[in-house]
Amino acid sequence: MEQAGRRRRRGHTRRRLGWLSLVAALLGIVAVAIMWRPALAPIAAAPRFEPGLVERGARVAALGTCAACHTVDPARPFAGGFPIETPFGTVYSTNITPDARTGIGGWSEEAFTRAMREGVSRDGHLLYPAFPYNHYARLEQDDVRALYAYFMTRPPLDAPARKNEMTFPFGLRPLVGFWNILYLSDEPVRPDPKQSAEWNRGAYVADALAHCSACHTPRTRLGGPDDKRFFDGGEAEDWYVPALNAKSPSPLPWSRDHLAAYLRTGIAPGHAAAGGPMQGVVENLRQADPADVEALATYIHGYLAQAPARDTPARRPGSLPPPKPDDPDLARMQLGHQVYVNACARCHDAGRTESSGTALQLQQAVALYDPDPRSLIHLVRDGIAPPDGEPARWMPGFGAILTDEQTVALAAYLRRYGAGQPVWPELEKQVRKGKQ
Amino acid sequence: MNYELQVNGKRHRVDTDADTPLLYVLRDDLQLNGAKFGCGLGQCGACTVMLDGAPVMSCIVPVSVVGARPVRTVEGLGTVDKPGVLQQAFIDEQAAQCGYCIAGMIMRAQALLDKHPSPTDEQIRSHMMPNLCRCGTHMRILRAVRRAANTFSRQPAGGRS
Amino acid sequence: MNAPLPNPGRRRLLAAAGSLTLVFSLAPAWSQGEGGAKGKEGGLPGSLEKEPWLDAWIRIEANNAVTVFTGKAELGQGIKTALPQVAAEELQVNPGRIRLVTADTARTPNEGYTAGSHSMQDSGTALRHAAAQVRFILAGMAAQRFQVAGNALTLRDGVFEAPGGRRVTYGELLAGRQLHLRADGKAPLRPRAAHTVSGKPLRRTDIPAKVTGGSAYVQDLRLPGMVHARVVRPPSQAAQLVSADTAGVARQAGVLKVVRDGRYLAVIADGEYRAVKAATMLARTTRWDVPASLPGTKNVPADVRARPAEDMPILERGSAGAGGRTVSATYTRPWQLHASIGPSCAVAQLIDGQYTVWTHSQGVYPLREALAELLGVDKETIRCIHVEGSGCYGHNAADDVAADAALLARSYPGRPVRVQWMREEEHAWEPFGPAMLVDARATLGADGRIADWEYAVTSPSHNNRPGKAGNLLAATHLARAFTPPPGKPIPQPEGGGDRNAIPYYVLPNARVTHRFQQNAPLRTSALRSLGAYCNVFAIESFMDELALAANADPVAFRLRHLDDPRAIDVVKLAADKFGWNAYRPGARRGRGFAFARYKNLAAYCALALEVEVARETGFVRILRAVAAVDCGEVVNPDGVRNQIEGGIIQSASWTLLEQVRFDERLVQTVDWASYPILRFNQVPHSLEVHLIDRPGQPFLGTGEAAQGPAAAALANAVAQAAGVRVRDLPLDRARMRAAK
Repeated sequence: MEQAGRRRRRGHTRRRLGWLSLVAALLGIVAVAIMWRPALAPIAAAPRFEPGLVERGARVAALGTCAACHTVDPARPFAGGFPIETPFGTVYSTNITPDARTGIGGWSEEAFTRAMREGVSRDGHLLYPAFPYNHYARLEQDDVRALYAYFMTRPPLDAPARKNEMTFPFGLRPLVGFWNILYLSDEPVRPDPKQSAEWNRGAYVADALAHCSACHTPRTRLGGPDDKRFFDGGEAEDWYVPALNAKSPSPLPWSRDHLAAYLRTGIAPGHAAAGGPMQGVVENLRQADPADVEALATYIHGYLAQAPARDTPARRPGSLPPPKPDDPDLARMQLGHQVYVNACARCHDAGRTESSGTALQLQQAVALYDPDPRSLIHLVRDGIAPPDGEPARWMPGFGAILTDEQTVALAAYLRRYGAGQPVWPELEKQVRKGKQ
Repeated sequence: MNYELQVNGKRHRVDTDADTPLLYVLRDDLQLNGAKFGCGLGQCGACTVMLDGAPVMSCIVPVSVVGARPVRTVEGLGTVDKPGVLQQAFIDEQAAQCGYCIAGMIMRAQALLDKHPSPTDEQIRSHMMPNLCRCGTHMRILRAVRRAANTFSRQPAGGRS
Repeated sequence: MNAPLPNPGRRRLLAAAGSLTLVFSLAPAWSQGEGGAKGKEGGLPGSLEKEPWLDAWIRIEANNAVTVFTGKAELGQGIKTALPQVAAEELQVNPGRIRLVTADTARTPNEGYTAGSHSMQDSGTALRHAAAQVRFILAGMAAQRFQVAGNALTLRDGVFEAPGGRRVTYGELLAGRQLHLRADGKAPLRPRAAHTVSGKPLRRTDIPAKVTGGSAYVQDLRLPGMVHARVVRPPSQAAQLVSADTAGVARQAGVLKVVRDGRYLAVIADGEYRAVKAATMLARTTRWDVPASLPGTKNVPADVRARPAEDMPILERGSAGAGGRTVSATYTRPWQLHASIGPSCAVAQLIDGQYTVWTHSQGVYPLREALAELLGVDKETIRCIHVEGSGCYGHNAADDVAADAALLARSYPGRPVRVQWMREEEHAWEPFGPAMLVDARATLGADGRIADWEYAVTSPSHNNRPGKAGNLLAATHLARAFTPPPGKPIPQPEGGGDRNAIPYYVLPNARVTHRFQQNAPLRTSALRSLGAYCNVFAIESFMDELALAANADPVAFRLRHLDDPRAIDVVKLAADKFGWNAYRPGARRGRGFAFARYKNLAAYCALALEVEVARETGFVRILRAVAAVDCGEVVNPDGVRNQIEGGIIQSASWTLLEQVRFDERLVQTVDWASYPILRFNQVPHSLEVHLIDRPGQPFLGTGEAAQGPAAAALANAVAQAAGVRVRDLPLDRARMRAAK
């Protein structure tokens, strides 16, 4: 009797173990399927492309703002090497010229498509989602083909990929497979019948190409897009990226034309000037088909128009006032006011002549209305520099001129007396975090 | 208002408006010729001096933010009778045509050599970018900085100017 | 024999300086009576023709100090070193002991403008011959004193030594008198083989002070009691003043006076930055009516073509109608700036009816004429003294700011008034380099040579230099405004817009026309090399296009059409040093060649260079440049190299980046952000200059010789590297991205 019971228990255990190992095996297979992708055979020589397709690819690449990350030195377009700082480490953009050894010279159109849609390199390794393939996944195949034609006809440049500096364990590429499960969808951008053709074109450009929400939507802790908070704002390269919807911090409402001008030129006079990472975007959009940039503006404006009209000091630009005598933080505010009057007012108040990008009256500066001070700190320290050898707006940087204390005081003063908002609690910490 | 400044190791007291750029204080109050007015916009570097070891455009530094931080101008690197290493390198390379940009170039370069005594040619080139030369003396300026860097690397550590 | 001094004012001044100037006759070979004053055929060498008196150029004091005078100005081209070098060589005096006095209407010869690369040709030549003659005279005097033959004397650093050790210095011989004698250009020059100073790369005397903060520029002048001024310009030349709150500004701290005269507004203050702030405040509170008065710059070539022009043929050779393959092309150049790194500055004072103006103008004598007319005074009451400014590269705002200073000195007499232009003022108001257009057409014969050449260059005036008050900016804003005189062409062989329009090549049939435009939407004047920049760009680009059509190598094609051996030498040298024949273009890379002889009579310059072009960004990188230059006998080789290097880089900046932009109302390029120039990341990676020295040959002007060749060599290299020919300057990033 006992023996039969033991035999039954052993059989039980064996069956359980059997099930377990089957499940484990299945999980293993799934895991491998998630984390491992095969290499695709390299091609020996690039195919020939119709000039029309290559030209289309150039315009698509401009909308996709590829050069913003893949071109560091204007003498070496698409050679990569740009450090993208993420919460998981620094990723360097790669060489996407058709160099056989260090670029994509051996990539077939299939490999290129797989990289764009699935974030998988030709040799099978998974790409970090710093490369926004979760957006490019939604491209129409014609656009992917055009991009392939464009990149495969660029002059090949020898530029080996720089070593990334990832925080363990996020450097382990296979783990990206799990990220993809959560965040990668290849659903195409579906036109909304309630919207105009231009709006729909703009939606496609924004989502599948210019990937606006990659910066303008917050990310989850795993670094994926938080779709429930679409266009609620985000961050990029240690800049705060403003919300583009009802939560827009912009102190003045955006008109569609303002936005179109801003996207094309980097300036909306009396409104905003592109700084930081947005400069790279604008440089690319400047070379895109103007009709597409207009469409993008129409689409984005659909969201921006949701922002309620607010009465902000931006409606009454002029000289910034001295701090009130009863200000609880008077000493710091006075210091900030002094710094403003002596260092900033010469351009931002008394003003320069027209044309090189009139400095904004600071009540209108969007950065003062941001929920965090990082963009303002960057602007004050680094200024805004034009692209090499091209005429554009210019603001000098004051990083070596102002001490941390002066920078904190200035930011605090501008926030209170320029934007009429309470000072950011983490202001001092952000300033002292270190100059780049 | 009175301001006390430390310039080239000496203390000075000046009476001027709070928003007066350091450039005008150096030139008009302290009679120092090195830093020059080129644009007043921080775009050309003719006014470059060092503030607490970092190169700055003195035309956009209001005197009131300087405080106790030491200011260094080209006059502080050496004299006609005893030029500093970088100044001597500029003389040896005859690195000037009209010469108006040169004092700013020297201060910009000095800041680099203070922190990176053995820069590559690429580093020198990119470090000097904020400074403009209209006469086209760039090749000689680069050679002068390279020459000074070579001199520094032959010297025992400790004296950079 | 006493003869009166030609300039009584100068005699007063020199007497006051403590040296008497007497005339005396010398006994032996050098009498005034003999042979007359003409040396070379057609006139005295260089500027001696204009100023023949030896003591106007060279003065030797009793203590043997030597002062040499030039009517030319130091612009950064190094004449403060090169001219004493020339004099030192012939005088056999240590150059360190020679003091040079430059352009000063009270003290130096009138050599007109320091322009057109004439300094060495005119002033250097004059000094050389004057110095040789002075040495010869003094040698005769020493021989007489020691009663020995001339060739028994040795001479060293201004001291003669006779056999037996007897010595006498120049100063002792003259004993305080000066040589008031006419030059005759006959004194033998020292043979080149014996040169100890000229031809050596002497270090520039001005650099040590400039690198150690010494006082060197007009901007550094600090005179006792000096006050500071700033001008508030109209937004445009057509703008009308509606209202100005001068009273409010006058109450600002430190403001001494607010000046208003018609549309001319200025503030004078006791401190420099206070003047800046007061001017800013005045500008903000002034209302102007700014009409649409400009054609804009969206299509500059169309605008150039549309404006009326007068056809002036400057070459008609052979006949038209040769058969063969015809090539034609149009080349264009935009409006461009001098954009001096230090905006223009001047100091002036009016004391006891006498004006003194410290200025970096290129022509102190013509400026004085213009100021006299502006101020309505006798020119004898004005002294203009040249003090170095930053590089001007032609007619920039130096004369305009001198006029500002003189006017404000008149408003505020008794103290020196310093006027410093702001950056935006300099960019918006300096006289511009004119926009030009070239139509070229040529026929290739069966032998691969150019059988017919037709060329027309359209351009407004390149010369609106003062002489006349109407050429001074302030004068056109006063209540009683002066009108700018109509633009005039500069006749050949110098030329203005037509400078270098006649190719240096052997062309059996050729017609060249200068289409001169009297009017332009904005003020234009001389910018380094004048029309040569555009003409050489056009001709040398066209030669490449012709070479391509003839299936010939660009260098070989040029050699086919040159017969001047010196031209052939520089072309071959540049090509050889570049490795022209062995060159194979890599991906995105190309080489380009260009040759020109500046004005067809000054220095020869050939240039080969290699570029790399990134089409996607439009970025052009110059990898290496190799130049070969023949400027006659070389005085200071390093100075020549410096000028050529600088010319190449400056021309590269013009060619790759620069264009003035304006809309219908306002100039928009007002600072370095809106008008970028070359920065360190775009200068060539290597630049070589090879000199061909021609001892005994006349000095040839070199300062402008590289501007045209650099533009064309770049355009030709870019054409190969990018696979597309661009004929419109600048080859900026936007244009290179769009080029098909």
